[in-house]
Amino acid sequence: MKNNYSRLKWVALIILGGIIFFLSKSATAATTSPPLFQQQVVSGLVTDQNGIPIPGVTVTVKNTKRGTVTNLDGEYSITAPANGTLVFSYIGYKTVEIQVDNNEEISIQLEGDISGLGEVKINAGYYNTTKRESTGNISRVTAGEIENQPIISPLQALQGRMAGVEITSGGANPGAASTIRIRGINSLRTEGNYPLYIIDGVPISAEPVETNSLLGTSGIDPLNNLNPSNIKSIEVLKDADATAIYGSRGANGVVLITTKTGAQAGTGLEMRIYTGLSSVPERLDLLRTPRYLDIRKAAFENDGVEPDQSNAYDLVLWDQERYTDWQEYAFGRNAEVTNANLTFSGGNDNTSFRLGGSWFSQGTVYPGDYQYRKLTGNMSLNHFSEDEKFNITASLNYGLDRNKITGDLKLGTLNFLPPNAPALLDSDGTLNWSEWAEAGLANPFEGYFNSNVIGTNNLITSTSISYEILPGFQIKSGFGYTRYDSDELWTLPARSYNPAGNPVNRSAHLSSVRESWIIEPQLLYTINFGKLEVNSILGATVQENNSSRQSLQGTNYASESLIGNLAAAQDILNARSSRIQYKYAAVFARIGMNWDKKYYLNLTGRRDGSSRFGPNNRFANFGAIGTAWIFSEEDFFNNAFPFISLGKLRASYGSTGNDQIGDYGYLDAYEATRGPGGLYPTALANPDYSWEVNKKLEVGLELGFWKNRMNFGLSWYRSRSSNQLVGYTLPAITGFGSVQANLPATVENRGLEIELNTLNFNNENFSWQTSFNISLPENELLRYPGIEQSSYANTYRVGEPLNISLNYDYTGIDPETGYYSFTDVNEDARLDFQDRTIVEDRTRELFGGLNNNFTYRGFSLQFLWQFVKQNGKLIYYNAGRPQNILSGYSSDGYQAPTQTYQGSLAFSNAINSSRFVEDGSFFRLKTLTLSYDLPGKFLQTIGIEKFNLFLHGQNLWTITSYGGMDPENSYEGNFIGNLRTVTAGAQINF
Amino acid sequence: MKINKSIIRTFILLLLSFHFSCEDVVSIDAPTDKLVRAEVFSNDETAISAMDGIYNELHQAEFSSGSRSSVTVLAGLSSDNVQYLNSGNITMMEFQDHEIAPTNSGNLELWTSAYNIIYLCNSYIEGLTNSTSIDAELQQQLEGEARFVRAFTYFYLVNLYEIVPLILDTDYRVNALKPQAEKEEIYTQIENDLQFSSEILNTSYRNSEKTSVNKFVAKAFLARVYLFLGDWQEAERLSTEVIQESASYEILENLDDVFLANSREAIWQISPIGGGGIVSHTNDGSMFVIDPFFSFFSTLKLDESLVEEFSENDLRREKWIGYNTSLNAFFSHKYKISSSTQFPIQEYSMVLRLAEQYLIRAEARLKMNEIDAAVEDLDVIRRRADLPLLAEINPGISGEALLEEIYIQRRKELFTEWGHRWFDLKRSGNIDTAFHSNPTWEMTDSFYPIPSEEISKNPNLIQNDGY
Repeated sequence: MKNNYSRLKWVALIILGGIIFFLSKSATAATTSPPLFQQQVVSGLVTDQNGIPIPGVTVTVKNTKRGTVTNLDGEYSITAPANGTLVFSYIGYKTVEIQVDNNEEISIQLEGDISGLGEVKINAGYYNTTKRESTGNISRVTAGEIENQPIISPLQALQGRMAGVEITSGGANPGAASTIRIRGINSLRTEGNYPLYIIDGVPISAEPVETNSLLGTSGIDPLNNLNPSNIKSIEVLKDADATAIYGSRGANGVVLITTKTGAQAGTGLEMRIYTGLSSVPERLDLLRTPRYLDIRKAAFENDGVEPDQSNAYDLVLWDQERYTDWQEYAFGRNAEVTNANLTFSGGNDNTSFRLGGSWFSQGTVYPGDYQYRKLTGNMSLNHFSEDEKFNITASLNYGLDRNKITGDLKLGTLNFLPPNAPALLDSDGTLNWSEWAEAGLANPFEGYFNSNVIGTNNLITSTSISYEILPGFQIKSGFGYTRYDSDELWTLPARSYNPAGNPVNRSAHLSSVRESWIIEPQLLYTINFGKLEVNSILGATVQENNSSRQSLQGTNYASESLIGNLAAAQDILNARSSRIQYKYAAVFARIGMNWDKKYYLNLTGRRDGSSRFGPNNRFANFGAIGTAWIFSEEDFFNNAFPFISLGKLRASYGSTGNDQIGDYGYLDAYEATRGPGGLYPTALANPDYSWEVNKKLEVGLELGFWKNRMNFGLSWYRSRSSNQLVGYTLPAITGFGSVQANLPATVENRGLEIELNTLNFNNENFSWQTSFNISLPENELLRYPGIEQSSYANTYRVGEPLNISLNYDYTGIDPETGYYSFTDVNEDARLDFQDRTIVEDRTRELFGGLNNNFTYRGFSLQFLWQFVKQNGKLIYYNAGRPQNILSGYSSDGYQAPTQTYQGSLAFSNAINSSRFVEDGSFFRLKTLTLSYDLPGKFLQTIGIEKFNLFLHGQNLWTITSYGGMDPENSYEGNFIGNLRTVTAGAQINF
Repeated sequence: MKINKSIIRTFILLLLSFHFSCEDVVSIDAPTDKLVRAEVFSNDETAISAMDGIYNELHQAEFSSGSRSSVTVLAGLSSDNVQYLNSGNITMMEFQDHEIAPTNSGNLELWTSAYNIIYLCNSYIEGLTNSTSIDAELQQQLEGEARFVRAFTYFYLVNLYEIVPLILDTDYRVNALKPQAEKEEIYTQIENDLQFSSEILNTSYRNSEKTSVNKFVAKAFLARVYLFLGDWQEAERLSTEVIQESASYEILENLDDVFLANSREAIWQISPIGGGGIVSHTNDGSMFVIDPFFSFFSTLKLDESLVEEFSENDLRREKWIGYNTSLNAFFSHKYKISSSTQFPIQEYSMVLRLAEQYLIRAEARLKMNEIDAAVEDLDVIRRRADLPLLAEINPGISGEALLEEIYIQRRKELFTEWGHRWFDLKRSGNIDTAFHSNPTWEMTDSFYPIPSEEISKNPNLIQNDGY
């Protein structure tokens, strides 16, 4: 092993040394070496097929970073060497290269090419590629699809737009982390399924941030503080070819976020502002008072029990006429959302910059004064030397937010209160205890005056320096630093609680910091041997993360206004702190080759070392091979199918890893006990555990028809995660039930993904574009030796997906008792896990999106339909219990209203049976944007470059048969997932 | 070529100046919230903290917590003192009905938590023994405390399950397949540990609260062990030593004061501080006390046969038993607080108290035919309950009648404390008579089943008879 380390050491040293050497060289080179060729100014006009000038066309000098864009009249002017080549590119048009040849004026016509397939650069992480030449599977979403969406975390913008990427909302509370799964669940551990986030080359922990607040279940999204409007593109790397270069962190896919950079010519000011309202789009269909009381009475009649104060307070004690719509009460409000952006950008041939800031605020739908506010600032700088050899780019993104959310709103119970329940608040605004106490109940609004204020700050900086030593040979290094901190105060005033319990004023504090730095030196080499083109990278990574958290509680504050001021707390309890360090080092390499732009071969590899593993298992190798054949370049094919403009077959295979296993797991260590002053071991130590290995296989076909007016992509993938790190079960006499160890259990994800983009119609005034994607994922636990004896015995089944529920076999209503009945499979006269033999698959069967984009003169209409086919479950509440039940209740197919124990046991078994499974599929109008560009001619007269007005709707309409709140969370009937938001705004460019 | 030369030169320079290996690049400092085991036992303070950790965990561990799956609750249900209010809760009703399924989750929690505490003690004892840097006297003291807790835990295991694996180290590879040890072997280990503790430990409480183990705690518990083993002389000798320590312990006149934190009657208590969080009070209180406002949270009531056993004027009937009208249920009111965030904590969970020592000595003396002395001890308990003294109303009581009276007083004095009644029924041989009216009762029910999940993971475990 020692040999391997030293090899790694040598490579790292060579690269590091090289960088330092050449950086010092470059400083002089940049100032002294004279331009090699005569420079001259070239200008001209760029028009479309119809001769209409195209503004915004990028004009660059080939093989340099120098460039400009055409102005509103389609004119440009650029300094270029007399023997150089100009490249004209614009989305929607074919890229054209023209030799300067001492010409001072070059005017051209661009030919439409809807796909932009060959031209748009795709970020593959350490290198760029194009859709045409890529051997891997990379999905991409760009600024236009993100910037106007009223969302907090940019990830939410991806819903429905990418094949294979499944995003479920973390709920209606602003700031809650969404769940993102790229091609399914790979790890048996829920915490082992986060993708890798990389922002401008810097990795960010994808693990949601811990909180005590209502966001606790989902956690806080670590990307909240990014400004979605400042994102240029989000690329998702899915297959082995694309992810293997990320080695032990690529198993669950990689999300690359690239922020916007400055324009290369002139100065510009851009303002964007929108405002609107959000509300909960759906309600449960609940009973009104008379029907509710009828069912309650029927229950007592059926049981032959006399209603009394303790078992039927809603019938005996409470007003029989009163009606409160508890849903309206709990989340019936409109939440205001406002966003403002201001960006200033500019530059010249060698230097460009972009400076921006934004403000975002969003209210909540709950009673009380709660709000999410976010302020962001960003800066980017790009400079290269006169001789084009030296380049430096830097970006900085800073965001701070303050999230004030309700401290204890028991939504889950509040909307199921009996419709005739007494008021929660007295007329003076205090909690109504007396009326509830009469019924022997605590006020369900207990904790109402609690609130939670979470403030976070997030700084992400990255710098990249490169120098071209020899033609085609470049040395480069990336540097990054990130810092995220959060500070949370949960106030629990005494008036939130029943005075009978002598409550005191309390507070809970939690703060955490995540800090990381990374250095990635790289050598890049490009060379052509005739028709063979070779692109290679050799690089190394050194990274360190430090995170810490502190928490404590203060109690017995003298007055409510002092809560949170720890000096005023009589006692400070449960003070805790921890600090975690994570170090990571790697060398990686990539060789991309192609022959005649027809045959492509891409080899990537990485050797990783991570501190998360025991000293015996710190290093491992990962790698992948990707190939592609552009058969449409073959003459025989071209002759036979001239209408097929692109035909590509690609395949990749390789391995990636997953090191999301928590830090220090291998240590035989003691931790602080929950009680103060104590230490104790919390687990058995196993110093030998290692990473999960994920092997991905993919085959793809890409076709373009009629000059790429229609593009079709089909991918089939299979990824197998083995060496699963799980709790290996032990008898309790060993002290603990399990020890962390790698088991030869294997999880497989396989599926099909189809993407289709068409330009249905396109002329001078009108165009219609459609894009469609669909994913058909499958998930299976292939093997797990000894699962019966493991703690997963009642969670997973070999041969079934991971996301399942084991159910009783529902056999209908027992005519004798009137209760739900089930098969007692092993005939032992009791219902337990052995009888839960029906496997209910909760994996999405298929999902996708359909996006249409119409433009007519200055108008544009874009709308995205998201669709999901899946199962769901909606539990019709136990008729007879004092909770409001869904009005779907009727005597057919439901057990008789009852209060008895046997009845509620039958009901709770029914929850764990196939009884309440229903269709959770839905079609949702996810986004709709209508925008209008004011005519340019008019604007120019008042000095405005662009004036755009837009109306935007989010989650406007959902078509589903599911009866719960949001079919996206089809197993949590009363979970508020996505809010419906309508906004209006304007964008002005000067 | 010139460039190449300077590149090589630079590399050589760099290599000379840097010398690091990749192992260093990914080696990290220990976290601040975790201490590597060797470090825990490298100094006095952290070694003490680790012992305090065990005391804290006694509040968390199900078997000793006083909550749902504790010895107090489950063995209480098995005895004729406690009943479950919700007859639909199968897990709990199985204890009350003596029909415990080997898959019963409460039984598994009881077992699992006890062995977790044993692991903590074993890990602790190993760490101490291997340490060379802890003050020698402190090392002995701490070892005495840990060995006490281990013996204490095995005492309940052996009395609940009869034969259990005897685990004395932390090697999970070996322990995972360990078979059960004979009852005698376990008792020998308990005796050894307790003798060590009672010799080594100081007479004062290390943390000045009655939540750590001192010499008298060890002696008091050893007195009980000898009583169970029928070694009357030793039981009498040890309980006498505890009773004579009047500087620390006394029988409190006011029954309301007995279960308060660090009460003068307490010999050893478990503090609810071990629960962390916003402080609450004892689990015993929250399990047994029926709050008039929150009666719907309550799950336990007292068996009416216990309530009927008390005479009208018995102070314990008045002070230690409550009644809830809406549930028509009697409840144990030894602890007064069901739940409270008051700090400092008012009540600690009682494990050993002086009254039991009098009862132990009374029984031991009776067995040694010292009837008068036995009556004298029993009268200490009766006097406090405001009952007429036996020495006055029945001075010539027969040995047999006195033994019966001792058991009755034990039931009335120690109900809802650590399953005393269940163990008394078993060791007195009265268990069959107590439950013969229950049609499903069998003698094999006097031991709980080994949890089936454990047997499935360790094939060397043998299920108890009758399951």
